[in-house]
Amino acid sequence: MISIKNFGFKYQNSKTEAISGLNLEIADGDFVGITGTSGAGKTTLTFALNGIIPQKIKGDFYGEILIDGKDTVEHEAEEFALSVGEVFQDIDSQMVASIVEDEILFGLENFGIPHEEIGARLKKVLKELGIEDLREREISSLSGGQKQKVAIASILALEPKYIILDEPTGELDPESSRDIFDLLTKLNREKGITVVIVEQKIMLLCEYVKHLVVLNKGKLEFFGTPNDMVSKIDTFKDLGINIPRVAELSSRLIAAGIYSGEVTLTVDEAEKMVREVLRI
Amino acid sequence: MNLLNYVPGDSFLHKLNPVIKLAAAFMYGVAAILCNNVLGEVGFIVLMILISYSSGLGDRAVRLTKTLIIIGMLMFVIQLLFVRSGDPLLVIAGFCVFTTGGLISALLLSLRVVAAMLPLMLLFAITQMNDLCNALVKKAHLPYRYAFIVTTAFRFVPIFTTEFHDIQDAQKARGVDFDTKNIIRKMQLIAPLCVPLLVSSLKKVDNSAMSAEMRGFALRTIKSGYKDYPFTWRDIAVVLVLAALIIFSVLFLK
Repeated sequence: MISIKNFGFKYQNSKTEAISGLNLEIADGDFVGITGTSGAGKTTLTFALNGIIPQKIKGDFYGEILIDGKDTVEHEAEEFALSVGEVFQDIDSQMVASIVEDEILFGLENFGIPHEEIGARLKKVLKELGIEDLREREISSLSGGQKQKVAIASILALEPKYIILDEPTGELDPESSRDIFDLLTKLNREKGITVVIVEQKIMLLCEYVKHLVVLNKGKLEFFGTPNDMVSKIDTFKDLGINIPRVAELSSRLIAAGIYSGEVTLTVDEAEKMVREVLRI
Repeated sequence: MNLLNYVPGDSFLHKLNPVIKLAAAFMYGVAAILCNNVLGEVGFIVLMILISYSSGLGDRAVRLTKTLIIIGMLMFVIQLLFVRSGDPLLVIAGFCVFTTGGLISALLLSLRVVAAMLPLMLLFAITQMNDLCNALVKKAHLPYRYAFIVTTAFRFVPIFTTEFHDIQDAQKARGVDFDTKNIIRKMQLIAPLCVPLLVSSLKKVDNSAMSAEMRGFALRTIKSGYKDYPFTWRDIAVVLVLAALIIFSVLFLK
């Protein structure tokens, strides 16, 4: 469990706090989506979840963040690296090797995973992500979606308990974006890995995540399930966050007493609802 | 960049240990530098091209030689104009432009540059950068951070190229005419782009460092490398042949 108590952070040379007074608990096995407009503190929060803040990026740190009971202020970021893996926002610059295989090996070699085990882990992670055929390829020749999978593979090979992703679908087309979310859901369900994902595409988040975090100007605006979000439609509109139109439609129909089911979050559900309401 | 790309293959040269490849390229260069004979230098160049053909890299070697000859010609001209020994060969209006000694020394130097550089350039065609660095760390005990600097520098070239084109496209979209034929005008237009390129590059490098650190860069030791690069009979044979070549060059190509 990652528990965040009254967390605040101010970057060096910055006048305002990037995040302030944040309280949040991320339970084991959760699938959390973080969203908010730019400058809301999303990336700052991801850096705080694995000790990069305050260990690698200096600034004024307030409050307390415990990763499985260990305080991030007191322990080096490397100590958390094996339990909390992060896929960074800029996909090209986080790569350290020119060949896919070497990229995945990098972390395994560094953390001193026994050499007899490395080969097996490499094969396993390539298979899990369905990128066995990319093993010998040059990273610079891969597509955006493939690169993203390689980045996830190189973190996954370390077998972390938590995986954090900062806008992994930012430069991907809708189909590859869905691919990544499907993959993360599989990891979350089958291997029990806790997933924390920063994402602008609210529709995708509502469809996949278990809990949603909405940040606004460094403050926690909302924490709950995607279903809970609907009661706050107007607040979100004020913040510049569009909630999925299917959710808005269903919540309005419920409010008007026309429909009596659950709020719909996907197009399929919405279709069913409309058919029911119109009796067709 | 095209001339320095890795060419996948399974030849004798490809199978050598990366450390030996580097050492061999250097030894060949040393032999070429120690040679003091114009015909000998031509021999070194031809021999290198023949060796390349045996590994399926003939075209690459010829293209590289052509490129290197351009550099060689520049050195030829400079040497020709500045070395003054022997008899005057070309005299214009009472001023000696160049001499016989200058001509020979210019010819020798420019060919020597080509002969010594060629094997080093061909090294890139038969060696993956990562393999070379891993092997240097494992076998030559080079500190990993230096090996990492070299691989990273090579890896970033295409990334920065893309970045530069993005910035240029953004400027083009706003009406800056980069297609002008006037070279000075073109330089004036491109120079200001260095600032955004530098800023975004620094950001990328920062990000890269953080990513490497979070994957245990600082914890790495010589033993960390997973891949092993054993020396074989091929490596020993190549070193012996090249040592003989250096001795031959010193003794007979004076």
